[in-house]
Amino acid sequence: MTTYIIQRLFIFFPMLLVISFLVYSGLELSPGDAVSHMISPELASTITAEQLDAMREAYGLNQSFLTRYWIWLTSMVQGDMGYSMAGGVAISEIMVKTVPATLELSMVALFFSTILGCSLGVISALKRGSGTDNSLTVAGMAGVSIPEFFFGLVAILLFAIELKWLPVGGRLLPHYETLWDRIPNIVLPSLVLALMMTAGAMRYARSSMLDVLAREFITTARSKGMPEWRVNILHGFRVALTPVVVLIGFRLPLLIGGSTIIEQVYQWPGIGSMFIRSVRASDYPLVMTISLMYVFVVLTASLIIDVLTALIDPRVRLGKE
Amino acid sequence: MEDKNNIALSVRDLKTFFYTNNRCNKAVNGVSFDVEKGKTLCIVGESGCGKSVTAATIMQLLPTLSRIEEGEIKFQKDDKIINIEKLEKNGKEMREIRGSDIAMIFQDPMTALNPVYTVGFQISENLKYHTNLNKKEIREKCISLLNDMGIPLPEKRIDEYPHSYSGGMRQRAMIAMAMACNPKILIADEPTTALDVTIQAQIFELMDKLKKENDTAIILITHDMGVVAELADNVAVMYMGNIVEAGTADDVLRRPTHPYTKALLESVPVLGRGKNQDINPIKGSTPDPYNRPIGCQFAPRCNWQTESCDVMPEITQINETHQVRCHKYEQFFEKYK
Repeated sequence: MTTYIIQRLFIFFPMLLVISFLVYSGLELSPGDAVSHMISPELASTITAEQLDAMREAYGLNQSFLTRYWIWLTSMVQGDMGYSMAGGVAISEIMVKTVPATLELSMVALFFSTILGCSLGVISALKRGSGTDNSLTVAGMAGVSIPEFFFGLVAILLFAIELKWLPVGGRLLPHYETLWDRIPNIVLPSLVLALMMTAGAMRYARSSMLDVLAREFITTARSKGMPEWRVNILHGFRVALTPVVVLIGFRLPLLIGGSTIIEQVYQWPGIGSMFIRSVRASDYPLVMTISLMYVFVVLTASLIIDVLTALIDPRVRLGKE
Repeated sequence: MEDKNNIALSVRDLKTFFYTNNRCNKAVNGVSFDVEKGKTLCIVGESGCGKSVTAATIMQLLPTLSRIEEGEIKFQKDDKIINIEKLEKNGKEMREIRGSDIAMIFQDPMTALNPVYTVGFQISENLKYHTNLNKKEIREKCISLLNDMGIPLPEKRIDEYPHSYSGGMRQRAMIAMAMACNPKILIADEPTTALDVTIQAQIFELMDKLKKENDTAIILITHDMGVVAELADNVAVMYMGNIVEAGTADDVLRRPTHPYTKALLESVPVLGRGKNQDINPIKGSTPDPYNRPIGCQFAPRCNWQTESCDVMPEITQINETHQVRCHKYEQFFEKYK
């Protein structure tokens, strides 16, 4: 397995390289550049073409596409992420501020949705056809089909404005320093974010579990006189878990990217809202760094899934023996 | 059969019905038989005749849409007689019998073992729940069981997963699992259907050996008449949820008294008789269980059918061991004597 992980890590870098080039080209093809976004509309009529060119020269935007990509790449390799063109702030500084916020939100959501999704799915499968199963099915469908921002707004209205149990939004409030102080802020966004994934994981866990419960080895386990919990959990759920782990793993990057909307709704200072802003401003260095981070997350997630499935299911073998 | 102490399991007038879409499938419709200690009872019949359901009923391993409607399953445990049909389906008492007193092996060893646990783990589960052995003893017992089943290098194989076992080895592992607690009854539901003939012979040899060594009663479910001839002490022929003929292997195979048994025997090619031998398949197919014939279930496919067959024939005792459920058995018996 170690060999496999090392092999996979070697693929990492070529992939990062290719994707970074594609993203850079995409930015180049999109209309306007950083300079055109810096000028406020009121000033646009008064500014001359020479002034714009001077600005472009100052930012190095007059150089050819490939030269700029090369400069970006070489400094990136040296660990220099550069400065945001829009705000002039070091990108490393922006990342240090926003990445933990997004990770915090998505990890809490992942944790809740995995545990809730799996257990509800198993309960639903074990009691199939019952009232519990039917109501969970309806809830699951609703969870999958109703958009997150709607849930987010309804949750704010209900829990923050009407009941006043939880704060409306934000992450770190002044004078709120201990972990305990910060918990109320994360409850709503993480639960809303978890909701959709919970619904998906639940439906998936249910069908996977039903599939496994119909298999013959479940009867074998029962024929050995095992108690029902052991038959269902140890023999059933353990086997049903593999596809669920794969699903959750592939949702992980979606979760980090998908938190964008929730971050907006709850004014969560995460990477999602930063990404939107940077794309709008054609802020090359920032867009590049954030997209590379997404790529990194996707690749890491798929590596983690591979390792996890190999751990759960002995039939899966990674690489050559 | 007279000696009551010799009987490990006694089934009387057992009825198991399936309920689907508001219809009732009388899968097992009044079956009675005895299983003697240290003997093999073969239950023979076409697909869908209720063989496997009978086996599942004895173990109380029926699917959710079915239930035991009537009848008795009396199991002799030590000196007590336990009525299995009265026990709670997955209750403690039933679980104590399963795997320890009555064990079961299944048709397809490829799917009957859990793919994510080692073979050793799956055998040891049985010992863990039904014996007081400690971990080390359990492991030793597992190794010796695998060794008895003729699995090479059991110390190494015990920690391997089912996918690295061949089909025959998996079935041996299944038998090791079933035999772990020295059950009094072993139910084998077509144990070799998924295996090739050479492996089949080995598995049956193994089962025969176990029967002789441990005095285990075996209920072997099969549709292979060759297997019956080879292994059975007693035979019960089932058709559409009823036993149509039962007796010792000699009774049933040499002097078949029911047209269905005769037809079954005639539909099997015999090795060595050449390519041109007459094989007479049974005409027609088994009736729809929701739309059963009136009276004798076999009548529509039977060459001996008369008007009297519109009434379900009762079981007739031909001699001490041989019984048949047919109106015409006397004429039939005469003709094929």
